[in-house]
Formats: sequence, C-alpha cells, structure tokens
Amino acid sequence: MNEPQTRRELLGHAVRGTALLGLGGLGALLLRRADAEGAWRINCDLCINSRLGAVGIEACELCASQCVLPLSAVRAVNDHARCGRCYICPAYFDVKSAIDERGLPSLKLCPRDAIERKPIGWIDPDDPANNYYEYTIDEERCNGCGKCVLACKEPAGLSSIRLEVRHSLCLDCNRCAIALACPHAAYLREPPRPSEAAR
Amino acid sequence: MKPGGPLTTSPSPRRHRTTLAALLLLTLGGTPLLAQHQYDYHRPVEAAPSEADIGEGYVTPVVQYHPPRPQWHAALDVGLLAAALLIGVWLVLKRRSRAGLLALAGACLIYFGFYRQGCICPIGAIQNVAAALTDPDALISYYVIAIFLLPLIMAVLFGRVFCGGVCPLGAIQELVLLKPLRVPNWLDRPLRAVKWLYLLLAIWLATRSAATGADSDPTFTRDFIICRFDPFVPFFRFAGPTYMLLIGGGLLILALFVGRPYCRYLCPYGVLLSLLSRFSWRSVNITPDKELDCGLCADACPYGAIKNLRAERSTCLYCARCFNYCPRHRVRDRDPQPSTTTPSD
Repeated sequence: MNEPQTRRELLGHAVRGTALLGLGGLGALLLRRADAEGAWRINCDLCINSRLGAVGIEACELCASQCVLPLSAVRAVNDHARCGRCYICPAYFDVKSAIDERGLPSLKLCPRDAIERKPIGWIDPDDPANNYYEYTIDEERCNGCGKCVLACKEPAGLSSIRLEVRHSLCLDCNRCAIALACPHAAYLREPPRPSEAAR
Repeated sequence: MKPGGPLTTSPSPRRHRTTLAALLLLTLGGTPLLAQHQYDYHRPVEAAPSEADIGEGYVTPVVQYHPPRPQWHAALDVGLLAAALLIGVWLVLKRRSRAGLLALAGACLIYFGFYRQGCICPIGAIQNVAAALTDPDALISYYVIAIFLLPLIMAVLFGRVFCGGVCPLGAIQELVLLKPLRVPNWLDRPLRAVKWLYLLLAIWLATRSAATGADSDPTFTRDFIICRFDPFVPFFRFAGPTYMLLIGGGLLILALFVGRPYCRYLCPYGVLLSLLSRFSWRSVNITPDKELDCGLCADACPYGAIKNLRAERSTCLYCARCFNYCPRHRVRDRDPQPSTTTPSD
C-alpha cells in the first residue's frame, strides 16, 4: 500500500483504524464474559417435576411440547445407581389403575410405553415381589413429558429419574423455546453451578 | 491461561480470560474439556439397593448420556466462516466471478443453513452480545464472539462480503430472485429505516432483564426476537411454528421479484455491516479497467446499490451480478491475452 495520497484517503484510513480498534475493544469486553461451555441444560433442583417438596401437582409437560423438534430433545433418564428397583414402580405403573390378576396395576404410566422393566440379580422363582427390577428408558420413544419424573419422587419414589437434554438431538437454538416457556427457569444455558439445597 | 490449563476446574466464567487465538490453539490441539456437563443432583439414596444386595454379579448400567457438541466443532465453524469470507473476497474482487460466488453462497447455504440449521448466526449473535454487555449473569461463548466479529472486521476491510457469499439467509433469497423489480425511491427509503428500528427493538428486548438477573426470576422477560422471527430458519430445519413458515414463505415469494427483502429492509446485522463498510478499504469496482457511461450495471443491480455508476459501499451486497452486465468486462473476458496491469482506482 502506498502512502496515503489525498486527505480523503487519509480520512478513510483513520476511520477504518478507529472501527477496527472499536471492534477489538468490543471483543476484549466480551471476552471477559466469555465461557467455552455453553449448552442448554436442565437444573433438576428447579424443574417442578424433580424438585423436592413440589408434590400433589400435575406433571409439567412443556419440555415435550415446546421443543421445535418433532420429538423433543429432552428425555427422561433413569440414574440406575439411585433407583430403588421397586417391584411396583410408581413411574412404570399407573398406580391408580385397577389391579390385574398378577396383583399389579393394569396400566402403565408412560403414554408412549417407553420404559422397559426386567427382573435382575437373583430371581425368586416363586415370588416375583421378592425380586429387584431394572427400569430402562427407551430414548427413541421417550419425549420428555416428565410424568415418570414426577411419579418417581417423594413420597412414592426415590427421584432416580430426571429430565436431561439429549445433546445429540438438541439444535442448540439461540432462543430455546423450552427455556422461554419453562415457568421455573430450570432450563438454562450456562455452565453447571454447584447445586443449592433443594428449595 | 496456559493452553491445556484448568479450563474446567473453575466454575467462574470471569477466570476464562484468554484470547481467541489461544482458544483456537487449545481446541484445535484437541485438549479434552472434561467438564461436568450436568447440574449436580443430590437426593437421598440410602434406600436404593446396592449391587451386592441385588446379587448374581449385577452391574449397574451407566446412565444414558450424550455429551454436548465437542469444542473443535465450534472451532471448525469459525474457521469455515473465516475461510468463506476470504474466498468470497477473492472471488469478487480478484476473480470477478458471479458463478464462483453463487457456488460459495450455495455451499454456505448447505453448511450453515441446512447442516448447522442456522444457529448460531451473526445476526442472532447481536442479542447475545447485547445481553453479555449489559447483564453480569449472561455468558457468551468464544464461538459466538468470533462469529459476531469476523463479518464486521471483513466489512471494515472489504465491505459486505458476508451478505453476498456467506450468509445463508442472504443466499436463499439470492438463489430465488427471478425477476427483480425496481423498488421506487419513495418506498425504498422509508423501508430501509425499518431495520434500524428492528435492531433497536432487538437490543432492547435482549437487554431487558439486565437489572433483575435471569436465573431465579420468574418474571424473566428477555426475548431474542431476531431468532424468534427469523424467517428462513424454519425452512433450514423443516420445522417451525406455522406463522413463521407462512412469513418465511411470503418473504421468499416476495424475494422472487424484490431483491433480498430481508437483507435490505429487515436485517439488523445489515445495519452494522452497512455502517462499517461505508469506509471500507477495498470495495467492488464494477468495471475491470475503464469506466463507461452506459449504466447497464445500474439497471442490473436488483438492490439499488449503484449510484452514479459506482457501487455504493454501504448497500452493495457483493452479489457480483453487475460484472456480468458490464461491456468492459465482456471485452476483457473475450480478450485472449488480458492485460496484466491491474485496474487503477
């Protein structure tokens, strides 16, 4: 580039230099707020379906209904280490339905039949109630409605089921429809913070 | 911060003070970020049977989990954006090739539009930037900062190459433009002001909850309207609210006859780009060597960006259409031995 020839060119250089400096300054300001690990996450201590103390309510199904995907990116996940492996799981069975001939509730709670139940460990040949059962959620079927999450909570359950964002499906929308709809601000985009005591 | 340093051990975002270059080195170097990607979740678990209780060698299955997109994907996106911007500049200013630019725009439409599904884009990043600048609780990722700043820096240097060659929203309108009609001046001028209002409204809504803090406030009212009313992202995703599909479809039908209605009249990022490109270092020269007075280029420009037979830097969308209409350009193209001297300014 030659030496600036005219006053106009000189002015142009000055304006461009100022603009680039300004953008650099903006970048530096933003870097102070920057964080590498932004992803949408559910804070289970705020989500009404898993929050301790929130009982006697209807399950909040906004995670299933608000996502822009045809099948929501939110799924229920069973943390097996915390699961009670109950014979009559309140999240698997609709415990208010009639008892059938096996002595179990006749209906399942999941509207999409996404939970699989199988006996594990040493199996008592005579008494099925004496067994432990493993409950696995089929993530192809689950749409994250949260009914099982709410059912597997006090007083009936141990809260081993929670809602989670499937990052393999999440489109990472800048304006997440679920986050905007969530009435409890439990759907957040931020790095995880240490858990607070359940409210 | 050292590359490979403890990015993950500190939950405080304020500590992550590092440059973009360091980030790119870090991520391209493949340093795994072993962050805990879920919130801590504590419940009394005394009642849960242990593996020993269950017996028969039972092993607790791992919890189903899919990690977020790896960091190097984000770095790749930034690299591709930078590369596409530079290729666009080269195609338009050096090669003067409309076909090449269309190919680039198509490729960017496929990658940034249909593959990456239009999120996050520099247009929407305005809101993240506005929120991060005003709200002490709002975070912004390095990726978003780079995506926001790169096209602006290119605008200062070369003009609105992002609009012409890279932006998937621009590309989809460019490709459907069938029979451009001239928008009369009395209509064009007020419509161009709409994007300013849109930008101000978007910034206001994106910064609205700055005072209250978003985390636990149930009256959280921040909204990203640029994303909510993005007309073409529902097409990229093949999903979206019906009213947005209708608005997007309507805009596309309008774009058959009016060149790039979203870019010219609505795009809030276009406001920033046009401001910064006003004094750009290089810009589109319509004729390769000698100027003519024929005005064919001005008739060919569907965006009304040619004033006094010069491409106006702030409105020129780098579509390279005028080159194909310039008689000098055709003469030079047919010349078997094109002159090696560069065109003088």
